[in-house]
Amino acid sequence: MYIYLPIAEVSMHIGIIIGLGGGVGFLSGLFGVGGGFLMTPLLIFFGIPPAVAVSTEANQIVASSVSGVLAHMRRGNVDFKMGAILMAGGMIGSTLGVALFSFLRDIGQIDLVIQLSYVVFLGIIGALMLTESLRTIIRSRTPGAARGKLHQHNWLHGLPLKMRFRRSKLYISALLPLAIGAFVGVLAAIMGVGGGFIMVPAMIYLLGMPTSVVVGTSLFQIIFVTANVTLLQSIQTQTVDFLLAGLLLFGAVIGAQFGSRAGAVLRGEQLRGLLALLVLAVCVKIGYDLVVRPEDLLSVELMR
Amino acid sequence: MTGWLAMQRTLAPALIGLAMLVAGPVMAAPKQIVADLSNSRVDITSSYHGTELLLFGAYEGMPGDDIILVVQGPATDIIQRRKAKRAGIWVNVETKIWQQAPSFYHVFATDDLSSITDEQGLGNASVGPLSRGLSFTSGTDDSGNGHGGGTPLSSGAAIAGNPEQQDNLRRNMQANGLWQVLPSSIFTQQDMLFRASLSLPSNIPPGEYSVRVLHFRDGVALSERATDMNVRKAGLSALIYRFAHDYSALYGIFAIIFAVASGWLAAAAFRRK
Repeated sequence: MYIYLPIAEVSMHIGIIIGLGGGVGFLSGLFGVGGGFLMTPLLIFFGIPPAVAVSTEANQIVASSVSGVLAHMRRGNVDFKMGAILMAGGMIGSTLGVALFSFLRDIGQIDLVIQLSYVVFLGIIGALMLTESLRTIIRSRTPGAARGKLHQHNWLHGLPLKMRFRRSKLYISALLPLAIGAFVGVLAAIMGVGGGFIMVPAMIYLLGMPTSVVVGTSLFQIIFVTANVTLLQSIQTQTVDFLLAGLLLFGAVIGAQFGSRAGAVLRGEQLRGLLALLVLAVCVKIGYDLVVRPEDLLSVELMR
Repeated sequence: MTGWLAMQRTLAPALIGLAMLVAGPVMAAPKQIVADLSNSRVDITSSYHGTELLLFGAYEGMPGDDIILVVQGPATDIIQRRKAKRAGIWVNVETKIWQQAPSFYHVFATDDLSSITDEQGLGNASVGPLSRGLSFTSGTDDSGNGHGGGTPLSSGAAIAGNPEQQDNLRRNMQANGLWQVLPSSIFTQQDMLFRASLSLPSNIPPGEYSVRVLHFRDGVALSERATDMNVRKAGLSALIYRFAHDYSALYGIFAIIFAVASGWLAAAAFRRK
């Protein structure tokens, strides 16, 4: 059964939409990630216009982050103070990101910037995750190996406006999480992702937050950033496809349930290794599309 | 146009009488063609995935006559971009805007267009999406060299473009299914009746369409009839589209509330299990 998506203005098989939602939902449940970095390229691949894919995915991530954050809140794994600062940065960043998105779309370069952002950031994060998990696996097989320092002090800790974050056991400058939030916010708006895959390593390695609160706090601020993107894209470009988001969501909810059960069977470092390979696979696929000669150098688009 | 047709209609019987008087029954009369669509309104509902319409009609034909049918969508600007390799990757470097081009142009015929008439004949009958002379603005956005960015769509207009540019546009529009020529897609019976099955694609642009039927003999259009077709979003898909465009802020807020509520529900369902 085909369904006509009113904003994307394409007709898609309902099985493909729910299947995409389910598949990506499974992986996001398995790895504990949002899955935007998979869903947005897949939607574009299946013929959804890039602008609609990015805005609609932001809307869907609002839902998946809400359902994810509730579990973390019950366990007390959300640092609300840190989350609020990250969110403030994220609001600024995502607002800039949406404006940048409109500008790039007008000059016909949005596809390129989306693809380049994916290649660069998935490449970096995927490579880091892969080496990290390989190192952990090797270390676990050689007992007695030295552990690294828990947290290092550097120039970042000398910045002004210091604040105490009790839940994260940190006393650092508020400027740092604000800047990280803003940076990830820009990327979230352009790439159609929540940005957790950049936010989480940044919280661990740049802010030095304990891993227990990282995912919950990241999800908490993603809700607000993606809600902001949803609202701004609705107003400025009318590219949020409510029907598409709803159907993806339906599949994702079911998929995530199975994914998190499957995830309980695998070990943490194995999961991270697999996730790293998945991230790198998406990076390589998009990078390949950029360097290989297109079938037709010319393309058309109807002005709406 | 309608005046011309009406005049022809009232004159036809008189002329037939005159012709018979002058040349006897072998002489052909001015040809009339009539046609109708099985449905003059196409609703793009949520379950729309392309549709089939039947166009049928009658004409006063002779063996060897042909019919051409043109389905033309609303005029729009078509943005065409050209990629080139810059620093190892393929980047859009040039933008052309074809102004007031038909967003949809399907041509049906009883035969190959080339065996019905020549370029001249098609041009005289305004058949072919480029036959009316489109204009376009072009601009070079050579971002690889760091100049020209920001205003790629400015600079002067040219008329219709050269034949190579026209071919490129035709190829691109054919690839996405919006411009098509379908030879031998009209069926005739005893040189009196004709019918064609119009298959409309799922990516059809909404708007006012014109459907023209032309009766050709010896490469010349003898008569023509035009009828309208309205393609529009309907039902839930129209509702969502209108909501998104007319009350965009409210739509955004609604989308967020919906997402938060369904996320909450999903989490509650998870917890129980």
